[in-house]
Amino acid sequence: MLELRHIHKSYSERYPVLSDISYFLKPGEYVAIMGDSGVGKSTLLNLIAGLDSPDSGEVFVNNTKISALNDQDATLLRRKEFGFIFQSFHILPHLTLHQNVALPLLLNDLPVDRTDVLLTEVGLRGRGNDFPRQLSGGELQRVAIARALVHRPKLVLADEPTGNLDPDTAYGILQLIRREIKKNGASGILVTHSRVAAATADHVLILTKHGLLPAATNTGL
Amino acid sequence: MKLLRLSCWLLQGEWRARFVQIIVAVIAIAMGVALGFSIHLINSAALNEFSAANKSLSGQSDMQVYGKHGFFDETVYPKLARYEGVKLANPVLEFTATVSAKLENRNDHQLKILGIDVLRAAGISPDLLGIPAEGRPMDNFADDAIFLSPAAMEWLNLEQGDVLHLNVGLESIALRVAGGLARARAGQRIAVMDIGTAQWRFHYLGVLSRIELKLEPHIHHEAFKEKLTRELGEQFYVSEITDQETRIANMSRAYRINLNMLALVALFTGSFLVFSTQALSIMRRRSQFAFLRVLGYTRRQLLQQILTEGMVLGTIGALLGLVLGYGCAVIAINLLGGNLGSNFFPGIQPSIFINLQDATLFFIIGLSVTVLGAILPAREVVSANQAGALKSGSEDSAMNRTLRSRAALLCLSIGILLTQLPPVYELPIFGYIAIALLLIGGIALMPSLAKLVFTFLQQYVSRYSRNVIILLTVARQANAPNQASIALSGVLASFSLIVAMAVMVLSFRISVDHWLDHVLPADLYVRVADIGMQGGFQLNEQRAINGLPGFVRTDFFRVQNLALNPDRPEITLIARPIDASEPDHTLPLIGDVLKLSQLPEGAMPLWVSEAMVDLYGYAVGEKVRIPVGDTWHEFSVAGVWRDYGRQFGAVQMQLSDYQALTGDFSINSAALWLDVETTMAEAYAALQQLPFSNVLEITQSQQIRESSLAIFDRSFAITYALEIVAVIIGLSGVAASFSAQMLARAKEFGMLRHIGVTQRQITLMLAAEGCFLTLLGVTLGFILGLGISLILIFIVNPQSFHWTMQLHMPWNWLLLISIVMLVSASLTAWLAGRKALAGSVVRTVREDW
Amino acid sequence: MINSFIKKIRLALFFLFSILWLSTAVSQQSVKDSQFAVVSPGHALIFPQDYGAHPDFRIEWWYVTGWLETEDKKPFGFQITFFRSATGHDPENPSQFAPKQLVIAHAAISDPTIGRLIYDEKSARAGFDLVYAKENNTHVKLDDWYFLRDSKGHYQTEISADKFGMQLSLKPTQKMLLQGENGFSRKGPNIEQASYYYSEPHLKVTGSIRHQGKRLTVSGHAWLDHEWSSELLDSRADGWDWVSMNLFDGSSLTAFQIRGKDGEKLWAYAKLRSAAGEARFYNTDQVEFLPQRVWQSPHTNAVYPVEMHVRTGESEWRLTPLFDDQELNSRNTTGAVYWEGAIRIFQEQRAVGQGYLELTGYESALDL
Repeated sequence: MLELRHIHKSYSERYPVLSDISYFLKPGEYVAIMGDSGVGKSTLLNLIAGLDSPDSGEVFVNNTKISALNDQDATLLRRKEFGFIFQSFHILPHLTLHQNVALPLLLNDLPVDRTDVLLTEVGLRGRGNDFPRQLSGGELQRVAIARALVHRPKLVLADEPTGNLDPDTAYGILQLIRREIKKNGASGILVTHSRVAAATADHVLILTKHGLLPAATNTGL
Repeated sequence: MKLLRLSCWLLQGEWRARFVQIIVAVIAIAMGVALGFSIHLINSAALNEFSAANKSLSGQSDMQVYGKHGFFDETVYPKLARYEGVKLANPVLEFTATVSAKLENRNDHQLKILGIDVLRAAGISPDLLGIPAEGRPMDNFADDAIFLSPAAMEWLNLEQGDVLHLNVGLESIALRVAGGLARARAGQRIAVMDIGTAQWRFHYLGVLSRIELKLEPHIHHEAFKEKLTRELGEQFYVSEITDQETRIANMSRAYRINLNMLALVALFTGSFLVFSTQALSIMRRRSQFAFLRVLGYTRRQLLQQILTEGMVLGTIGALLGLVLGYGCAVIAINLLGGNLGSNFFPGIQPSIFINLQDATLFFIIGLSVTVLGAILPAREVVSANQAGALKSGSEDSAMNRTLRSRAALLCLSIGILLTQLPPVYELPIFGYIAIALLLIGGIALMPSLAKLVFTFLQQYVSRYSRNVIILLTVARQANAPNQASIALSGVLASFSLIVAMAVMVLSFRISVDHWLDHVLPADLYVRVADIGMQGGFQLNEQRAINGLPGFVRTDFFRVQNLALNPDRPEITLIARPIDASEPDHTLPLIGDVLKLSQLPEGAMPLWVSEAMVDLYGYAVGEKVRIPVGDTWHEFSVAGVWRDYGRQFGAVQMQLSDYQALTGDFSINSAALWLDVETTMAEAYAALQQLPFSNVLEITQSQQIRESSLAIFDRSFAITYALEIVAVIIGLSGVAASFSAQMLARAKEFGMLRHIGVTQRQITLMLAAEGCFLTLLGVTLGFILGLGISLILIFIVNPQSFHWTMQLHMPWNWLLLISIVMLVSASLTAWLAGRKALAGSVVRTVREDW
Repeated sequence: MINSFIKKIRLALFFLFSILWLSTAVSQQSVKDSQFAVVSPGHALIFPQDYGAHPDFRIEWWYVTGWLETEDKKPFGFQITFFRSATGHDPENPSQFAPKQLVIAHAAISDPTIGRLIYDEKSARAGFDLVYAKENNTHVKLDDWYFLRDSKGHYQTEISADKFGMQLSLKPTQKMLLQGENGFSRKGPNIEQASYYYSEPHLKVTGSIRHQGKRLTVSGHAWLDHEWSSELLDSRADGWDWVSMNLFDGSSLTAFQIRGKDGEKLWAYAKLRSAAGEARFYNTDQVEFLPQRVWQSPHTNAVYPVEMHVRTGESEWRLTPLFDDQELNSRNTTGAVYWEGAIRIFQEQRAVGQGYLELTGYESALDL
């Protein structure tokens, strides 16, 4: 599904952010990536999403070498194959929930029927015409989850999706993300600081200066 | 102290971040102030110079005695010279004469001549003394000498010792240029000669124009003036210098105030730009401010912080505007003269002088407009609930309070009501307030309207379109109308100004054009210099003209000026043959007209211009008294005609009535209608056959018409400058608000990029937003502008200049300017977006490292 | 700036001075073919007509000078002059304002306690009954200033200036004195350089003056000259010294000399008439003006011989001024600058009379 081959990335010569990162993510696999601040988690996500390109090495998504694509093609690929969940939700305030969720469908020129299915799945059935300002943080993130999966992406990237939520809500959201990824047959990468959060993934990887390593102990569920 | 430092940091940080928007805002304020200030400077310089030039003619006299219908019998002079309390009486004969060499220059061939008694004038207006050549002291009394001001010498291209030819009726007389004047103002085009010589050579025997009085030191002026006025009787009026100044100021007041008002509208438009920049900046920083409040900033401190920003911007902008305005004024006055293309201040060359008070006033206006632009959004922020502000997505509610549609509707209705009120001090004050209210109300109504329009559009779009860009664009406008309307307010204000001006100018121009058709029915007009107070054509010449072959009709005109009210400029009396049964064949009549049969038995009909109705209260059917010849006579007002030529008033009467009343059979000009078979060349040839053809000024109505329209265009040139400034300000508004939005919406764009919206699509979306907004702004601006133009046409113009006009729409021009606005606004939005997106938009979605 | 302005104004008005002293000389060429009447010998003066104005002549004046005494015996000198000048303006001009005749008046008081001349002047064109110089009897008027000869042959004059005023009645005590040859008075070597000229010496003056805000009753004696001409001076003339003396013994002496550019005597004349009426005439060679003491004006820098010896034949008269600064300086207005002062007359240390001395042409060439 996703393959990283010997990725190198640095913003200054002295301090490489990522060096020699290799990894293979199988279809349907959901992994968590942990790591200290500044270790390059976000850079790694940007490289995977084609928003940035590595200094050397290759990124394959669904057998397409995304690291070699130009911005336009990378965007088109991202539009089709990726779903995103952000820490601060990024739901457009002036669109209804329905419209927000429908955005990826419209971008990919797909029928928008699936929007309601997803809203129902994330527990917001019947609220498609509400505006985001009427929603709580947890609800907003549910909308984001619906948006991330509505167009059946191959890969969902979730970047600290519970960073802005209280622990009770967070747990429900993490379960929901996992459930939805699995249900839609997508692969998923969860970037997080939280061991509890990371534990909701199939397995946990630690990003260090030496590479992407399996966590010493998988605490499991 | 610490707080102050924090305050500085915050300011610095903010300005570093929005350098471009701040520059644009400063430029907008500067342009508004500059425009207003330069127009004010030019106007006041011209007025001061005109007034000073006039004052220099009347010297240091305490009082002046004038005849009510211009020239008066000189026997008053010895009476005044001996009058109790009079120290010195200085007789003056002032008139204009036609310069033979300038005859072909139709609009500029008159030389103002002052006939003075040099020995009397020396004590009252020493500036006017002629300086004879050395060894020729008696030239001051010579019967063939004239003294010219430097400007007159330059204009006539003459020097001391040369001969100046002037036309008097059919003759041309030669005068020796004996020298210059003791002192004349720069550009003041006058000539001075002995009063006895002037009376004789120019046929003003026995009459004077005014007598200037210097009073004994102990005399009480008011009492003296009252007594003298009473004793001189109704044929005379006595005025003090201050009256003169008022009179001069009155002549151009309407013009100056209207121009100043337009400048203020420009400043007003500029203030929307400031407002939008400030409002957006504040919106963007809502969470920052909320954070500061959480940290312990009091409301007052926060308000001060925002106000300080506004003050600094306003100060820089206003100062820059003053400098810019001064520069523009200096350049304009050098290029165009003090007239700004109009003709209110003839024969002078003003120089710009800054008076600290005026500069301060304009500075304060600029500053307050800016501070106001900052206060409105600031109050909102300060009183907002902080918890809500910290939440993302709440920006749009910030403006809800300041822009309420109820208040907007109130503004609009008051504005409409105000249009029904009469002028104040002959100025359309309420008309202008109504315009301001319409603008404010219209802009305040924008959010509701935008919401209405775009919600409707959104329903349509979501039903029929699957284009994500259009969906995003429309949804944003429909659901965040406040931000949209801020961007729009500049477009709206400037476009409505453009529409208003364009409609007004075109309506005026077409009306003038039609009017010219009506008042210039003949093919040729023949004019000759006056002989003293008489027209230049006596009966013999009239017969000669009547006897010319090739013409089907000849009308004679007797035109003179007369003063009805000493506080007002003179009105024009035109005596000509008028078909009393069908007067509208001769006159551009409007409204009710009395037919010959409807007039009282034996009454003489008088047709008055619109200005007479406004200024003197004349009404159709009323009996009025005006001085014709030596005494006052009663006339019946038989109709009102439109006159764009004389805003101070004019009346027309039958030539036969005039001749019966005065015994004056001379005429000033003749209108000639060509026979169908006669060509223009043949007509000219026929006129050349006249023995006095060399002194005739022959003009084709076509030429008069063209030159009149050229003058019209020139005098409205300034309004085009205003329109251009308005466009620039409007577009800067779009640019400023879009670049501000780019920052505010960075996260939105970042998310969109993540989910697969291409960079091109985002810029396209911005261009579409710009286009949609402008389209709405232009549409509403058109409606608002049309409303304003109606006020200008039907209220401001009649009240200021006492003439009415018909509405005409400049569709082509409006269409063109709309397209230009649309394209440039879209481009501006697109450019602003491109610039903002060039950075690392994608990263803005992540806040956690 | 101000200076140049004043200079211009002065330039504009300078003609007055020119008319009075110079133009008669400068434009001698034009006088022959002009419309002005010519002074010729052998023409008898006819009275009372010749008391009046002679508008056909270019220039004319009535010139009164004299000594006054207040009730408390304080001496004053006074001068009242009315000039009439024909401008040569086209006589065809029917305008009431046509400046054909100008009237100019100078008036001054010499108060030794002030030590300076107090003077005023006026000028205007004749017309509208405000300003005139009438024919047939002396009657000149310039607004509210006038000088006239009444039916009793007394002269009445009133001057009302801002700073001072005079209201005087002048009564002849002797016969009038015809100067030159029966009133034909030559002013230069050329026979045309002449005027008609008569004097009224020993006029008894009564009246009042307004001075320093007070009205003072005065009495005294005065001298009137009435002179008219179209061409007066030789082109070489630079100025003149003129003196009139009311001598205590009842006799009267007139003396003048016309000076050339280098101060040399071009022409001189004197006539002494005794109380009994015997007249004695002195020609150019017999009359001499001998400066004794000069005074430099602090106002104009002009140097005037304010003390003179005048020799007429074998007699010598010493003239001493009432005080030095009797310069009439109207540089800032009409430009006229001359010395016109009350003098005492001595013969061998003995005061023999009082009179007036006029010194013109001493001011350095005008700075134009």
